[in-house]
Amino acid sequence: MTVGLTHCLLLAAVLFAIGLYGLLSKKSIIAVLMSIELMLNAVNINFIAFNRFTNVSDLTGQLMAIFSIAVGVAEVAVGLALAYRMFHEHGTVNVDELNNMKG
Amino acid sequence: MTDIFYSLVFYLIALVIIASALGVVMEKNLVHSALLMTACFIGVGMLYIYLDAEFLGAAQFMLYSGGVAILAVMAVMLIKHGDEGPRDGGNGRALRAIAVASAFALVIGMIITALPYAPAGYISQDNVSELAEMMLTEYVLPFEIAAILLLSALIGAIILAKGDGEA
Repeated sequence: MTVGLTHCLLLAAVLFAIGLYGLLSKKSIIAVLMSIELMLNAVNINFIAFNRFTNVSDLTGQLMAIFSIAVGVAEVAVGLALAYRMFHEHGTVNVDELNNMKG
Repeated sequence: MTDIFYSLVFYLIALVIIASALGVVMEKNLVHSALLMTACFIGVGMLYIYLDAEFLGAAQFMLYSGGVAILAVMAVMLIKHGDEGPRDGGNGRALRAIAVASAFALVIGMIITALPYAPAGYISQDNVSELAEMMLTEYVLPFEIAAILLLSALIGAIILAKGDGEA
């Protein structure tokens, strides 16, 4: 069976599910951020697979993926700076102990 | 024969991506996690090139497997970590996370396989110049907004990392 849209979408779905598992189960906020990065990459695979295998006439999907990568990189820069700040203020990056806003 | 080879390459790339992604979430040591994340991003970049998106592949290698990975390793080294045990709620939490993730994969997988789609395709002859042309004509506004977003993220990250009174 030749590789088509379905294969790429299934691969992206599995990658997204792995990221979802990490997001829900990891303790360190850095590990949570890494899981979010995996999920972002899964979405970008979808953009490019749809651009490659469906009936389109230009590269809009790839362009959207470029913007998505830009947003993802901005997110990771701010997220890691926040994690560093949290460690400075609270001495921990464990998401269970970061509950200052709990009523 | 070329068809079989073409499929084989895809499955090899998929194996790299899935195995290293599983490593990222299973690994207890965060430095190992970050390095496996780099391997996963390299796999995704290879998939982009496989799908005839050469420019995106190059961008993936430079931004994700270069920039983001180094940033993550630096953050891991700057921050002292406690024991990487289960989160509050004990092992039940991990089991519930597995249940949610596999239910998600199952539902999406069923939708994808049920989806009818006519095999068609679009391959650009000159990937980079077509993207550049679109980016500077039709999509110039999102392009400028992305530039502003990156600048503000950069300044925000610097201010956050420096902290009160020091900036």
